[in-house]
Amino acid sequence: MMKKNTFIVSLTLLVGFFTISLILMPATAQAKNIKVGVIDCYSGPAAVFGADALNGFKLALKDINQQGVLGKKIEFTTRDSKFKVDLALNFAKELVLREDVDILVGTINSGAALAISAAVAKREKVPFIAWISKSENITGKKGHRYVFSAGENTAMAGKSGGVALATKPYVKYWIAGDDYEYGHAIADAAWRNLKARKPEVQLIGKSWWKVGEPDLIPYITSILAAKPDAVIFATGGGSMVNIMKTIKTTGMADKVGIYIHSATDHAVLNPLGINAPEGVMGTIDYHFYFPELSANKRFVSAYKAAYGQPPGFPAFQGYITAHFIAEAYRKAGSLDKEKFIDALEGLQIQSPAGRIEMRACDHQAILPMYFGVTKVSPEQGFAIATDIYTLRGVEVMPSCKEIMEARGQ
Amino acid sequence: MEGGPAITLAALSITFLVGLSRAMILFIVTSGLSFVLGVLRVPNLAHGSLYMIGAFAAYSITMLFGGGSVGFWLALILAPLVVALISLVAERSLFCHLYQREHLMLLLFTFALMLILGDLTKMVWGADYRSIMPPTILQGSVSIFGSPFPKYNLFLLIIGPLVAIGLWLFSSKTKIGKIARAAAVDMEMVGAIGINVSWVFAFAFVLGCFLAGLGGALVSPTISVTIGMDHNIIIEAFLIVTIGGLGNMWGAMVGSLIFGITQSFGVLLWPQFAIVFPYLAVVIVLTLKPTGMLKSVW
Amino acid sequence: MFGEMIRQKSFGVSVAIFVILLLAPSFLPRFYIYFLAVIFVTALLAMSLNLCVGHGMLFQFHHGVFYGVGAYTTGLLLAKTSLPWWLAFVAGPLAAAFAGLLIGMFCIRLSRLYFGMLQISLGSLIWAIAFRWYDLTGGDDGIHGIPIPDFIASTTSSYYFVLMVLGICLILLYLILKSPFGSTLQAIRDNPERCAAVGINVRRHQLKAIVIATFFGGVAGVLFVVVEGSIFPDLLFWTLSLEIFIMCLLGGWFTFAGPILGAAFIVSLRTFVGTYTEYWTLILGIILILLIFFLPEGVMGYNYRKLFRSRTQYSAEGQTE
Repeated sequence: MMKKNTFIVSLTLLVGFFTISLILMPATAQAKNIKVGVIDCYSGPAAVFGADALNGFKLALKDINQQGVLGKKIEFTTRDSKFKVDLALNFAKELVLREDVDILVGTINSGAALAISAAVAKREKVPFIAWISKSENITGKKGHRYVFSAGENTAMAGKSGGVALATKPYVKYWIAGDDYEYGHAIADAAWRNLKARKPEVQLIGKSWWKVGEPDLIPYITSILAAKPDAVIFATGGGSMVNIMKTIKTTGMADKVGIYIHSATDHAVLNPLGINAPEGVMGTIDYHFYFPELSANKRFVSAYKAAYGQPPGFPAFQGYITAHFIAEAYRKAGSLDKEKFIDALEGLQIQSPAGRIEMRACDHQAILPMYFGVTKVSPEQGFAIATDIYTLRGVEVMPSCKEIMEARGQ
Repeated sequence: MEGGPAITLAALSITFLVGLSRAMILFIVTSGLSFVLGVLRVPNLAHGSLYMIGAFAAYSITMLFGGGSVGFWLALILAPLVVALISLVAERSLFCHLYQREHLMLLLFTFALMLILGDLTKMVWGADYRSIMPPTILQGSVSIFGSPFPKYNLFLLIIGPLVAIGLWLFSSKTKIGKIARAAAVDMEMVGAIGINVSWVFAFAFVLGCFLAGLGGALVSPTISVTIGMDHNIIIEAFLIVTIGGLGNMWGAMVGSLIFGITQSFGVLLWPQFAIVFPYLAVVIVLTLKPTGMLKSVW
Repeated sequence: MFGEMIRQKSFGVSVAIFVILLLAPSFLPRFYIYFLAVIFVTALLAMSLNLCVGHGMLFQFHHGVFYGVGAYTTGLLLAKTSLPWWLAFVAGPLAAAFAGLLIGMFCIRLSRLYFGMLQISLGSLIWAIAFRWYDLTGGDDGIHGIPIPDFIASTTSSYYFVLMVLGICLILLYLILKSPFGSTLQAIRDNPERCAAVGINVRRHQLKAIVIATFFGGVAGVLFVVVEGSIFPDLLFWTLSLEIFIMCLLGGWFTFAGPILGAAFIVSLRTFVGTYTEYWTLILGIILILLIFFLPEGVMGYNYRKLFRSRTQYSAEGQTE
């Protein structure tokens, strides 16, 4: 009976597969090192950021593991979520339940970060440090004891943009961006803060395109036709290169003021080379060339030696995540997860950009924001940010009181 | 929505032209898909992957020859050929052995191919964003009624119809083209009069993939070349082929025009809801014309 | 009909497997219990699709929409209202079936590929709504940490719940397929013109099948919420629909239990191979190609012969061909 044979063969294969992986399950009995589970996107357009963050993380671990942490080394294992939330959830559970990791770290996808935070970190009581995803809800409304963020979020980015733009002479604004939560959140945060500081600004229109939209010319055209003084673009990682290219092709930066969060980031400007548009205003929490602290220079040269190019903000955030983890364990003196969390709250570390604190009330890293304007540097072969104006972390973060109110506490 | 876009003559003209130029790229890509669908009767799920490889190959070839204009023109010729070669290898080594099987098996094969090509692309080129500029004479914009219109898009407006005319001449005037058209309508008959059906299939597949690669190469200076391009284009291509008429090259043109222009005008008139326009267009077309705009070859 | 089912040899095998699965939580580590629950949910989803594809030959290209509608309905009711949980659980599949009815009515006028493409378009509109309507659905962030009733909240208890529901649904699906309704559906699949000629309302029958299939898809969606406690727009996206379609093809779309195998295979592969390499899709692609080539007597080839054989039988029974 062919049907039954096929059925039995396939079933046997499946069971065999299953059993083998059970056997291959990592032994948990030995004296283990500190294990970090990394979930990120290593496929699809967001992959470059995930790879960057991991590189920064690995670089930090090289130094950390020379000293050791509580007599152990920090190991890590990665999982590719391919920008899918269900895969991220599966792997998070697999890392916690099967690999028995001490800490979870990741990801660029805000939906995945929120899912991991709620379904795995909170439920299984395992600390999770989000390192690129920018939803302000991660440490805001949906924050809790077991989730931390080592990256800037939309509230911080938007506020820094709004604060900086309030010093500019523009009155009529247009807002445009990727039609998803990140885009809307940044745009709202920027506009809210701008309007609060400069009540006379007017919003004359909004445009939203689908995430990953390749053809932005029609949007630019209709925006220019409305003749705003300035445009706030709320674009995510995947669209940054597209929007910058379109701005360059249409010469838009010569006609109107343009602000985009992360426009001054190296990962965005590098692929454009000397053809990046100039005069675009942007904010980001890390530059490899500013501030010119010796710690930054050391970090940059070590990174360049290891990976062949200067680090962008994800690498910086991955790097500080590793140091936060190491220092928190050292302070806690034990591998106990609860003690780790207590130690991490309020912890300050030395980073390439100076001292950075993990704020205790909401588990958000207090990161500075640098507001700059793009300018091509022919000798380096790409554009950099100039006229950099630093906003301190505490200036751009929501207050502890606001966070607690948002969380309903 | 506070305020709104100014519906000026400039805005309308640019919108129309942009929609048209976008439609040209879509046409080139979907004509390939349509051709394969018509002759092989199989939706090639790997079509988007070949488009993506075309874009990456164009990037690499451009960089290989100095990163400037010369590099790009060479890339425009060589990248589609690279893609055609890859598809020929896939076809002769694997695909051709499956022609006797059911169609869904062929579909499964193209799905597997899509997965494999996607990962291979990541292995070869990595995850970084790539960007190339159009050749120098096509950089910047011209001013149409005071609004900027990229010169490269003008180039696309010329290339698109040229490819269309080329394909039409090819399929109606050359012997191979006529055989392919006949095969799309009645494969058994073509086999019965002594023509090697397997080679007809190979030819159709390679040509379809060549067009995908050409589309990818042409689009590369306008966007960031990145992994994930395959998923974005494949759903659009399939929708266009459906509303245009399966296997019909002019259908691909009609479908692309509908898609490109409604997208463009939607952006101008209701920018808040641009995300739904392509799907709305398909729903409307299929409601009014359930078998697509033009006659399908099936 | 029920009695006939019990007498099948494969029923005995299934019961044995079911008993093993019942006992599994006592000897399996927690992750594997969760993992099996994920397979069960996916298997049910694939089975519900196969009612349309394998047994009805309907080009149901966007079945994922109904899974998502079921999940979202239940998830939203649980998270945002204080309605009792069983109401939320029942509302999910009903909403999915309703969506199936609406979309089905729209698409049923078209044939084959057009049916599928229109379904993708309409389904994508629903996806776009979920993606954009932040206040209701959480937009692309999704809604997480949905409150699940305590008695099925833990890993083991949710496993049992899913297993029970899966078992019941499988029995129901089997009975449906073996019933006159199911036979008519398969007859329509094999030869719609002849069926119409003997007076069967082909369209109405297919629509009924769609509603049933989407109902079960919605059940799978509810189970997803129980296992994961999250809803997000990926559940409504066309790539998911393509994946479950492939699961049906892979497992054997003319068989009854084929989709279960397909689902188990793909979920296992991506979980276990995914722990070793990010290129697990490459490996899946290679394995698919190997299966296509080297298992010609496997699921696909066998089914072709089965179809061929049943056709011959049919025409041997006195049809003038």
